[in-house]
Amino acid sequence: MADDVRDDAPRRDYQVIGRRIPLIDSWRKVTGQGPYTDDLKLPGMLVGKILRSPHPHARILAIDTSAARRLPGVHAVVTGAEAPAKFGVLPVSQDETAMAVDKVRYIGDCVAGVAADDEETALAALRLIRVDYQPLHPILSIDDALQPTTDPIHRHSKKANIHKQVDQEFGDVDEAFRASAFVERERFEFIGVTHAMTEPHAVIAHYTADGRLTIWSAQQVPHYLHRALADVMQMEMHRIRVIRPMVGGAFGGKSDPFPHEMIAALLSRGCGRPVKILFDREEVFLTNHGRHPTRTEMALGVDADGKLTGLDLDAKIDGGAWGSFGVVTTYYNGVLSMGPYRIPRFRYHGTRVYTNKAPCGAMRGHGAVNSRFAMETLVDRLAEKARLDPLQFRLDNLLPAHTTTVNGFRITSNGTRECLEKVRERSRWDEQHGKLPYGEGLGVACGFYISGSAHRIHRNRFPHSTVHVKIDMDGGITVHNLAAEIGQGSDTMLAQCVAEPLGVKLDRVHVYARNTDTAPFDLGSYSSRVTFMAGNAALRAGEVIAAKLVQAAARLTGRPAEGFVLRDEQAIYAPDPTVVVSYMDALHEAMAENGALVAKGIYQQPPPMGGNFKGAAAGLAPSYSFQAYVARVEVDAETGFVRVAKVWAAHDCGRALNPLAVEGQIEGCIHMGLGQALVEEFPYVRGGYILNANLLDYRTLTARQMPEVEVILVESNDPEGPFGAKECGEGPLLPILPAVANAVYDAIGIRMTSLPMTPDKILSALERRAAGRPRPVLQPA
Amino acid sequence: MILPPFEHHRPRTVAEALAIARQCDGGFDYVAGGSDLLQNYKNRLNPRPHLIALGAIEEMRGCSDERIGGLTLLADLEADASLIPAYPGVRNAAAQVASPLVRQQATVGGNLLVETRCFYFNQSEFWRQSIGYCMKADGDVCLVVPQKEKCYATYSGDLAPVLMTLDASFHLAGFAGVRAVRAREFFAGDGIAKNLKRPEEIVTHVTIPRLSRGMLADYAKLRVRDSFDYPMVGVAASLRLDGERVAELHVVVNAVDTRPLPFEEYTDTLTGRQFTAALIDEVAHEVMVQSRPVKNLVLSTSYRKKMIGVLLSRLLRGFAGDRQLAAAGV
Repeated sequence: MADDVRDDAPRRDYQVIGRRIPLIDSWRKVTGQGPYTDDLKLPGMLVGKILRSPHPHARILAIDTSAARRLPGVHAVVTGAEAPAKFGVLPVSQDETAMAVDKVRYIGDCVAGVAADDEETALAALRLIRVDYQPLHPILSIDDALQPTTDPIHRHSKKANIHKQVDQEFGDVDEAFRASAFVERERFEFIGVTHAMTEPHAVIAHYTADGRLTIWSAQQVPHYLHRALADVMQMEMHRIRVIRPMVGGAFGGKSDPFPHEMIAALLSRGCGRPVKILFDREEVFLTNHGRHPTRTEMALGVDADGKLTGLDLDAKIDGGAWGSFGVVTTYYNGVLSMGPYRIPRFRYHGTRVYTNKAPCGAMRGHGAVNSRFAMETLVDRLAEKARLDPLQFRLDNLLPAHTTTVNGFRITSNGTRECLEKVRERSRWDEQHGKLPYGEGLGVACGFYISGSAHRIHRNRFPHSTVHVKIDMDGGITVHNLAAEIGQGSDTMLAQCVAEPLGVKLDRVHVYARNTDTAPFDLGSYSSRVTFMAGNAALRAGEVIAAKLVQAAARLTGRPAEGFVLRDEQAIYAPDPTVVVSYMDALHEAMAENGALVAKGIYQQPPPMGGNFKGAAAGLAPSYSFQAYVARVEVDAETGFVRVAKVWAAHDCGRALNPLAVEGQIEGCIHMGLGQALVEEFPYVRGGYILNANLLDYRTLTARQMPEVEVILVESNDPEGPFGAKECGEGPLLPILPAVANAVYDAIGIRMTSLPMTPDKILSALERRAAGRPRPVLQPA
Repeated sequence: MILPPFEHHRPRTVAEALAIARQCDGGFDYVAGGSDLLQNYKNRLNPRPHLIALGAIEEMRGCSDERIGGLTLLADLEADASLIPAYPGVRNAAAQVASPLVRQQATVGGNLLVETRCFYFNQSEFWRQSIGYCMKADGDVCLVVPQKEKCYATYSGDLAPVLMTLDASFHLAGFAGVRAVRAREFFAGDGIAKNLKRPEEIVTHVTIPRLSRGMLADYAKLRVRDSFDYPMVGVAASLRLDGERVAELHVVVNAVDTRPLPFEEYTDTLTGRQFTAALIDEVAHEVMVQSRPVKNLVLSTSYRKKMIGVLLSRLLRGFAGDRQLAAAGV
């Protein structure tokens, strides 16, 4: 075991933890039973449709909905003026309204909503709504947005169309560079990409006669939706119930309260009937909340001993029309560069601008992906300058475990060294890197990501996650918590964290994570927090009930409670294992004169950590995940096509609660990361029109393009994670893009500084390099 | 997205289909597998009030070494190895269309008649209304090459090019009776007019001349992903050798124009030349030079143009196989 990996967690023979378990909702997914939001039908349910702005930027002079209201079959029509209360997922950045009130800010912005008997009538009603627009000059690029203006997209922007600026400095970076042996600088351009999740957004709202509002929505953050609905609908929170049906993928694309949810609620209140809004695929793209287009300028220095000296980073991110999670994204583009390497001096200037385009938000790897690409490219370039092997260079610059970064991150468990050593060995790095024939190459890259944001986005002292467990005389265990299962396996994780301390089979546990009335709140599925926080809360609730069962067993047998171990659905007295009480007997004894067993477990918050400077909280996490990948590529130098043949993917997840699920997350992250690296892009043409708002032209990687992936699970046993576990849903995305880029360099000597690396760009780069040298038009085969 | 309203007809014979077409008086489309047309209908791209579904017409089914029925599924064409000798290269072309799922539904006739494409055309009603309609649907200007005369939408079907190199004929049945049109002449006109088929005519089957059966033929398709996508460019070629000399060579370039582009005039001049690496280079270069893709698909035009040369070169080298040409440095 490498030095950096702690191993003081007692090695126990777990019964469900560490097993390869198919996710407990798998059958309902593969048989299509769901139910997903769109599967739900309520009596009297109407179809809702949204009228969207055809202008990227325009003032609304007048809206006339009278003809739409008169159309037979139309039961409600709503416009922005009826619900002017602002909302947004971050309390510090609430700039959205249910529909546009005074102006529209991007093509696709919501202007009005209708509820009608059927889709055709609803669409006909939309066509009858007349909106008088006064087009305004659209801001469509980062450079345009930085220009001073007297008429910004959002009134709260002061000088230009700037949403957020971050300035952080730790030590004198310029001095460090002057003293460095080499400094590599580069500018990188990243076009936006988006989640392209399988299930489009869908919501059903029902405002019932008793004055309560129920919302079913495909959501990652039902709790934040709950709060936002109260604000927008001007209702008390307890009168609103949010229910999350099965979700068909989200990846950060469903981690905000949305206008369409507000619109459905307003329409339902307008007519008293349930209203469903289902997006078509174009609307999913228009809603976006994907990765920000980014311009990254980075400089990284190394001294004569091969040690990194400093990092200077300027990131400009294009936020589109709304704030969403953008303030956090602005921080993450910089601060998440402070691992896994030890960087003694750091300067970061981050800017998020508003533009008249589809809003950007949190997308898997939130803010870290593009900067990680830049950093891992510059690390390779420095290694080359210093004539050091790039993998060894990384090993020699790692943060140790149990340390603090210069910007105040508390690093606990850290398995990077083991990750790098394992991929080095498995990929036969030393024999092959730099030694393969032209067109074939190996590349390495590391990653670093938060395992849950340490700080709440709302100021309060509520636990980050609360789990209630109930067991009744039938022996079934119900687990209640609002963690959003979005395909990452949180329901299964909760079940495992309860089943293990109780020593029961997993199928005895039934997870209810859907309903704000009955599930105590969890903040939601974002920032890779759920396993760490909800898992800990579930484990604690499980332990409370375990204690009750053990005491019951003690009463039944006359043996001391502390001698009992729960496993195999029994309470076994360890000093004399012939003394056994079945789970059901112990349960019924515990229930006598007591009733159903209930227990609560909470994850209140991480220990105090971090500095006192502005923005210190951003990037703080109770623990971090670490990765190291090696990718092998083949480049066809005549066509520019890059084929990723194989990836060795080592990820430190603390402990793999469910190795099957962790592998799935790693493979899915690689798929998504390769998409951004090779084929995905979200371009605009002609003044604010998304070119490819459909799944044919927005190209995600096909199954055939996926490389062979060898997953290497590294377990550094986090001291605070449940059973030692940390995140595995986002970190594994970070290294694949730069590993491929570094492999392309090994293969053909070209460094790509903009993504995606489409064949035409690779070929242009090859030609630019060859310019000036006479070359036949076509090489012989 | 829902389809616009239409009346659906399902004739059992070609004659019945034509009779319905006559009654619809121009306000109809034929539909077979629907994998091309229905998407355009959902986008409200020139939808018609009547759809005449051809799927029940038995006489259009069936694929033998004499004829390929218009309703032949691409998946069936791909699966039947016995057809290769009769239709060299065609099975390969069919296997590159879209994805396995689409090929279970898509037909030969439908692929020949696939609608031309442009990223200002293949968009939703909302998008096109916002940006302004184009002359191919509801408007009167081209948004790619601003003018009002010609539509530049690109032909994107993958079967036609190799069929053209084999001098295939498309057999049409219409109000005036049946006729055969040579594939090489079938595609004409701009991105709106597209081909010589009259609106009511149905492509009942495809044949190739017996002489073409001995040829080497193939199709290569360029797309960013290796499945699902329409071509960014495509090249088809057929070759008959007389010893080491070219007896006939045909080349068609796809997805660079409103129709698949044949190069008959040029390749006729190559008859009698020795089929060497140098000739391959020369042909690939000349065809590339003569091709002019328009910027209405996603990859850059200069790249697509270059790839015509690369794809054609590789395709022709593929014909060389393991013959003496390998010794000649191919």
